[in-house]
Amino acid sequence: MDVSQYLEIFIDESSEHLQSLSDCIMTLEKEPDNKDTINEVFRAAHSLKGMAGTMGFKRMQHLTHDMENVFQEVRSDKISVDSAMIDLLFKCLDALDQYLENVKGSADEGTEDNEMIIKELNDFIAKANGVDVASAPVAAAPVAAPVEKAAESANEVKIQLSDADKDEIAAAKEEGKHVYAITVYVNQECLLKAARAFLVFRAVEGFGQIFANHPSSQDIEDEKFELDFSFCVASNESLEAIIAAAKDVSEIDDVVGKELTDKEAEVKVETPAPAATPVAAPVQADSAPAPVVKAPTPAPAAAPAQNQKKQTPAKSATNRTIRVDIEKLDNLMNQVSELLIAKNSLVSVSSSENGIGGNQVFRENVESLERITTNLHESVMKVRMVPIESVVNKFPRMIRDLARSLNKKMELYMTGEDTELDRTVVDQIGDPLQHLLRNSADHGLESAEVRKERGKPETGTIFLNAYQEGNNVIIQVGDDGNGIDVEAVKAKAVERGVITQDQADVMTQKEAVNLLFMPSFSMAKQITDISGRGVGLDVVKSNIEALGGDVEVKTKLGEGSTFTVRLPLTLAIIQALLVKVREELYAIALGSITSIEDIPVKDIKYVEAKEVIHLRDTVIPLVRLDRVLDVEPKDDPENLTVVIVRKGDQQAGLVVDDLIGQQEIVIKSLGKYMTGNKLISGATILGDGEVALIIDANTLM
Amino acid sequence: MADVRLETQDSMETKQYIVVQIGNEKYGIDINFIDNIVRMSKITRVPKVQSYFKGVMNLRGEIVPVMSIRKKMGLPEDVITDASRIIIIKLEEKGSIGIIVDEVREVITLNMAEVEKTTGKDSFINGIGKNGEELISLFEINAIVEEKEMN
Repeated sequence: MDVSQYLEIFIDESSEHLQSLSDCIMTLEKEPDNKDTINEVFRAAHSLKGMAGTMGFKRMQHLTHDMENVFQEVRSDKISVDSAMIDLLFKCLDALDQYLENVKGSADEGTEDNEMIIKELNDFIAKANGVDVASAPVAAAPVAAPVEKAAESANEVKIQLSDADKDEIAAAKEEGKHVYAITVYVNQECLLKAARAFLVFRAVEGFGQIFANHPSSQDIEDEKFELDFSFCVASNESLEAIIAAAKDVSEIDDVVGKELTDKEAEVKVETPAPAATPVAAPVQADSAPAPVVKAPTPAPAAAPAQNQKKQTPAKSATNRTIRVDIEKLDNLMNQVSELLIAKNSLVSVSSSENGIGGNQVFRENVESLERITTNLHESVMKVRMVPIESVVNKFPRMIRDLARSLNKKMELYMTGEDTELDRTVVDQIGDPLQHLLRNSADHGLESAEVRKERGKPETGTIFLNAYQEGNNVIIQVGDDGNGIDVEAVKAKAVERGVITQDQADVMTQKEAVNLLFMPSFSMAKQITDISGRGVGLDVVKSNIEALGGDVEVKTKLGEGSTFTVRLPLTLAIIQALLVKVREELYAIALGSITSIEDIPVKDIKYVEAKEVIHLRDTVIPLVRLDRVLDVEPKDDPENLTVVIVRKGDQQAGLVVDDLIGQQEIVIKSLGKYMTGNKLISGATILGDGEVALIIDANTLM
Repeated sequence: MADVRLETQDSMETKQYIVVQIGNEKYGIDINFIDNIVRMSKITRVPKVQSYFKGVMNLRGEIVPVMSIRKKMGLPEDVITDASRIIIIKLEEKGSIGIIVDEVREVITLNMAEVEKTTGKDSFINGIGKNGEELISLFEINAIVEEKEMN
């Protein structure tokens, strides 16, 4: 069966389940007895198994199946979660991740069987049962076995035979026919179950006589059955042929069967593993946004799981698609309709002959058009916004692994995972953040012994805080570790010939720390596989700058360091202040402007031969825009118009000739030909077709 | 135009060029690279970029950098007249760029066999073609949009 059309959904939902598995296992590591989490893991593994099976990814299905088994044992308190198990589960996740990667790349899961992992999983179950047998020799073992079996096989042949049926079986056998018991599982999305049943019967009829329907033929006709029905068939043909024929009917999930011996009064037999593979209809894909996962009819123990499964929260997808909150779309729709109304009334105003009051109506309409387009812009932008969650939620796991491999104790605390950023930014921010976190784990935090000596808690703290500040999103990554040894950095820079000793002596702490962002400047004394290969902070910096952001460091030796990443909320449209410098128009992002001041020239002071102003108890350096922009100089008027801009805790006052006003502008790139200009971050086209350049105030600090 | 088409059919390897006037010389630009030819419009100066860039212009909602080929070739500064045009060249990788020329003359079809190839390392010209009695220097587009400047 062709399932390729469901591939995207499969990838999407599998990633979600994997992420939720990862989160849960992290939680389990801390709270091994958390029943809710155990159930959650079981559910996620179960759903994954079902989906993988549906798509025909046998290896993936096999692995999740065994994971599910282990959790079955945990659920029934046969075994408890310990660190060995957590490690193993993470190995499973990595293997599943790999499968999913393969599927993404080639629509095929690949050929890695991961036998080692499966064996380890099975060892766990065996060990668990072994321990049980030892502690409760008689009682526990027999109980454990059926539960395990039940979990192993999802679909089974269920049939009850009356005496009359048995006679029929005997009679058929005498004629030399085979008698098969067959159970058919109908897809849970199926709307006309009776019709499907009818089609199945018609398909099977050709092979021989059907009898012993369960439920009765009448009930089947009246759709009085859940998702499965059973019957016996006496035929000369092979069981496989009959099952194949029944499976040809659409919306049938699975057909399992077994040959009956006349001695069997009641059949309740495990089907062999291959037959249990649900082959047919996958997720009903039409439009359902919530993860609707076709589960093979669960074993008794899994029944509660199925009921809760649909409540699994839908998280944002990580692939190329965007899942849009329906509310955001509704807003968009409303604004578009308003836009249409405004347009229509403008049309009618322009075509009306009546000039009286026309101007007034026209102005009103233009105003409302303005309002609507502004809102529309905002809404479209919001649709592009996704929470950074999809990127940062893989970090706890990463830190855990780092803690293991570095043999340090550390804990990651994250806040503001729901902070939203433009999709394109979110897609590209993962690597830089990961790098900073690794940096903190590897270089930042001291070993437990050193920490103890220094009177710090043994477990180091790494934090990631995200929040919005004006038109920017700030992501802080830091640790309470050793901090950056500024003198060591200087020494290294001198040794590398990056700076001279004289320069080093006069360098401020800040300048010295910034050396870390120079290409190929690694402070690692020894190269580990975690960091220190020289491809370091400079890459982080350039990645972030490519997104229109910047990064800063604050550090205190012995107390830790904090990297502050500042990113633009969106790349496309911003509110900007238009200013005039001589005859040229420039735009400055409103988000970076704190105030606009009228400063008498006589109030300008000098610090180190640089112009500064004293404003509300802060000293702010002045930047003469006409000089940095190379325009014709002119004499100062009596008062200067100064636009105060801010980046973090730094401020600067930009001297302009005139203010034009606030406008929403669409940022356009200057293209790839012009180089060497960091000051101008782009251009925009104004209402009259003129081009205004956008000044990146951050570069002026 | 009828003549041009006829010629195209006759010879196997031909290329069409737009002939432009820059200073005293005539130059040919391979028509395949040309996206558009527009009249002079307002060019917004961009500070602190390569000196041969005049700035950027608004080409139907897109921002397109405009360069002075004269300045790049070391010729006297452009004199903008009514005949001045901006040739918009579009390259797959780098996008659009505008080049100011004094005048656009005509479209010609050159038989490649009759083009005299020139090879100069730092040259903007890759060949010389003849149009009747006139000599046309053929621009090497990649050299023109590259960053280097002629001294």
